[in-house]
Amino acid sequence: MLTADHPIDDNRLDETFAALANPTRRAILARLAEGEATVNELAAPFDMTLPAISKHIKVLERAGLIGRSRHAQFRPCRLDPAPLADVAGWAEQYRSIWEERFDRLADHLEHIQQPSQGSEP
Amino acid sequence: MTATQSVTLERVLDAPIDLVWQMWTDAEHFAAWYGPTGATVPVVEMDVTIGGTRHFCLEMQTPDGQSRMWFVGEYRVIDPPTRLVYTESMSDPDGNRISPEAMGVPGGHPEVTEVTVELTDVDGRTRMVMTHAGVPADSPGAMGWNMALDKLEAHLAA
Repeated sequence: MLTADHPIDDNRLDETFAALANPTRRAILARLAEGEATVNELAAPFDMTLPAISKHIKVLERAGLIGRSRHAQFRPCRLDPAPLADVAGWAEQYRSIWEERFDRLADHLEHIQQPSQGSEP
Repeated sequence: MTATQSVTLERVLDAPIDLVWQMWTDAEHFAAWYGPTGATVPVVEMDVTIGGTRHFCLEMQTPDGQSRMWFVGEYRVIDPPTRLVYTESMSDPDGNRISPEAMGVPGGHPEVTEVTVELTDVDGRTRMVMTHAGVPADSPGAMGWNMALDKLEAHLAA
């Protein structure tokens, strides 16, 4: 969660958002919110090939949004909600975006206000 | 998890108030700072009049390749150099509004948000207070996402 001592890792947040920025992947997560499911079960509602669904699942796995048990024969997927906690509130999530923007705004202001007279040859 | 959340940030910038005003209202300046790190703002149109359109594009890299996100909104308050209020929604390249859900944005994001910028001169520097608030909208899409998020929240609490 977002606290002063433990700020959100921006890279991870980027990865989380990129993973979520796809309707199929969000539908997969919504399904997993109801309980774990195999790849076949996850693929069932979609008019997509298994490899295509597997690709989406891999993106979600890389973002840490889902886990897969190693030992089970069919390796069902389950939701790992930890990264979602960071993005749970859209407004709070925007705080870090605006903070970063305002850092760049301050840099831009400094850049364009550099003395153009008296300090140049 | 409602559409009426807001976030407020305050900064004191080492620049005169008129210049900070331009950062928000001059397309070239706006493009220089607004995009996330690694992103660019290749297109900005700003008609800074009451009811005038603002329409711009963020271009960035994602695991699915290069992606462009478009935003559209209008100016509601223009009181130079102290107060600016504008709305913002996701859009298509032609500036037609698109629901956040259709654009793939999670988190119960409201369809229309409103940004208020208030500037105050502080001895030649500028205090900037920015509030980004959701405009309540009960679109079916938003409801679908809120339901999904309620489930996720229940899951988180479990």
